[in-house]
Amino acid sequence: MSPKDQTVEEKPSLVPPVLAGLISLIVPGLGHMLARQFRKGLVLLLVFLSAAGLWIWRVNVAARREIGFAAMFKKAVQLQPIVLIILVLLFLMYILIAFDAYKSATKTKANSFLLWASVLVVFFILGWQIGEIKPAVLIRDGKNSLPLLMRVLWPWEKALDYPEELLIGSADVVIPCSENAEVEPRVLEPDAPYVTVTPNCGDLSQIGGAEGTKLRMVGGNFAPNDETEIWWVDQVRNEFRYRYGGEYVKVVTDENGSFELDVIIPYRVIPTTGDKGYALWQVEARQVASIGKPVVSEELKLSVEKMIETIFLGMMSTLFGVILSIPVSFLASRNLMSANWFTRTIYMVVRTILNIVRSIESLVWAVIAIIAVGLGPFAGILALTVHSIAALGKLYSEAIESIDPGPVEAIQATGANWLQTVWYAVIPQIVPPFVSFTIYRWDINVRMSTVIGMVGGGGIGYLLIQWIRLLDYRSAGIAIWFIAITVAILDYVSSEIRNRFV
Amino acid sequence: MLEVRNLTKVYGDGTVALRNVSFTVPEGEFLVVIGLSGSGKSTLLRCINRLIDPTEGQILWDGVDITTLKGDDLRSLRRQIGMVFQQFNLVKRSSVLTNVMAGRLGYAPTWRSITNRFDEADIKRAQTALKRMGITDQVNKRASELSGGQQQRVGIARALMQEPKLILADEPVASLDPVLAHSILQHLESLNKEDGITIICSLHYLDLVQRYGTSVIGLRDGQIVYEGNKKQIMRMTDAEFKTIYGEEAERMGGLTGDIAEDDAVEAGEEVTE
Repeated sequence: MSPKDQTVEEKPSLVPPVLAGLISLIVPGLGHMLARQFRKGLVLLLVFLSAAGLWIWRVNVAARREIGFAAMFKKAVQLQPIVLIILVLLFLMYILIAFDAYKSATKTKANSFLLWASVLVVFFILGWQIGEIKPAVLIRDGKNSLPLLMRVLWPWEKALDYPEELLIGSADVVIPCSENAEVEPRVLEPDAPYVTVTPNCGDLSQIGGAEGTKLRMVGGNFAPNDETEIWWVDQVRNEFRYRYGGEYVKVVTDENGSFELDVIIPYRVIPTTGDKGYALWQVEARQVASIGKPVVSEELKLSVEKMIETIFLGMMSTLFGVILSIPVSFLASRNLMSANWFTRTIYMVVRTILNIVRSIESLVWAVIAIIAVGLGPFAGILALTVHSIAALGKLYSEAIESIDPGPVEAIQATGANWLQTVWYAVIPQIVPPFVSFTIYRWDINVRMSTVIGMVGGGGIGYLLIQWIRLLDYRSAGIAIWFIAITVAILDYVSSEIRNRFV
Repeated sequence: MLEVRNLTKVYGDGTVALRNVSFTVPEGEFLVVIGLSGSGKSTLLRCINRLIDPTEGQILWDGVDITTLKGDDLRSLRRQIGMVFQQFNLVKRSSVLTNVMAGRLGYAPTWRSITNRFDEADIKRAQTALKRMGITDQVNKRASELSGGQQQRVGIARALMQEPKLILADEPVASLDPVLAHSILQHLESLNKEDGITIICSLHYLDLVQRYGTSVIGLRDGQIVYEGNKKQIMRMTDAEFKTIYGEEAERMGGLTGDIAEDDAVEAGEEVTE
């Protein structure tokens, strides 16, 4: 049949073409309905109403504070010019609908490509606006996240700790010089770091005035060739690091661990003397020296511990899930439960429960489980077990439903009893899908157990969310690496097992 | 001797699969059941080993009504009746040997069979059966790795393990090509002739029916519309053909009543020999 024959057979439009177009201008889509294209008209009406409704909503969202739609529109266009573009396209679509109604009524072979294209474009741009998609921001500011990303991608500086020791040598300084100053001589171990000053007394620097007394500071028994800081301790035990000319003063020890340095007694706003007429200060040389070999960091240890916990969390919940879902799956198999109305009712009830339980995410189950048993891996295991039972119960029951009844019949025909029939005809058929689904679920459970900790259900997710909140991206990176490695290994192992059994 | 009396089967949805079917199968017969798909052939065969419970009527097996058997009695009936299927119905993931040994389940104690421990004698029996079917070199393969013809031979070997007095073959060659079809039917024929096992076999192609059947019943809409012995099959007329297969059926292959006269006589002589 040629298209020409078809047009002859079609019923004529109820209204003349121009009227159809005009009616379409009043109610978009109504023109098509009157031109005997009811379904197309209805679709166009719904499309137009929803697009226009979305546009009005977005104008409201963009300019919440304005009163009256005109003001809102003005403000919205000012803030987000895209609103105006959508309005223009909406208007274009409106015109195209009317034009299409006119064409439909004339029975010429209407080409609605432009109309549908305009519908797609309107919804695409609406989606762009609603999704607040701003590629420019990603390009402009995205680079700020790069250093952070690098810390996550290569966090291994945090994997080792370098044990450190603070070496301090100190000497007393009397301020100002006083005849009756009582300075106890230091008693030191033979190899302990020491500092001496000459003279061992002097005056403080004055603000905007004369510099204090210059002291010759000599140190020894420090770590060789290492940076050393100079600190002052005033008479009330306030410690402060020595600056000169605004810069911290540092000295590097020689190969024997000794140094010599001139220091000037700094300025300090505290009473310089007590009743005694002098104050006892100290000047210190401090060195942070690493001792012994680097050790595994606390973060790495924690990550390993929690990763092991995570893997077992996934494993235990899979195990419990499998054990409990097998009997459930038999109750949820239509072919096994269609004997009478009682078993069919059980089937319906079990299926409904499984669907409801499955539609609640594991994370939500974890929150509920935490209320029941408190924070920790047990809550996570409970949550994942519940979800696994529901998911596996459905998958298993579908596997049971789809077994080939032929072998069952054949084994029955040999005179085998029920148990023999199940063993020889049913089990061999359901083992491959059961193994497959179990591994699949194990996969899901381990991956879920890495995030279930984020709500407190145990496992590495707990550390991860904490470190992210503390902005400790290196530690978070270590946790993420462990998750990635584990998931990759698991992927490999599960595919190997699958190949062997299925 | 198997006697079917007034057998009727009505399914739960009201479909009447068999209406008042009566016939007798003497021992050593190769009875072929013909008829369109849905004419009740499969239901009839499955009523005989009670995979399907008939609604009314009797099936007498050596004078005993088997329609009321239950439990152990039913199972010991079933183990005397081998069955071969169109889709072979092997457990595809199990080995050929396991599939053949499954034919022995009716004899084996439950616990032993579930732990996969079989009698030495049974294993010997399986090897003999496989040898007879010509598939000795495939014993340890998975059933799914075999070709269709080989799978059907495993199916027959499984039936043989039951040491059956009767084999029910439900369109055993419908999924096989013509060469394999002959090969399989020749195996059944040899069981029939050499071991004296009664065969009830449903078939589609008239040339196969004429070649292998020693008697025929034709089913249409669950009723017997044709009964014939070897001689009568050979000279089946177009009218008879149309009673079985419907007015629109066009006869393809096989010998017609008009031209097969001579062959029929010969064939008849063969039978009487």
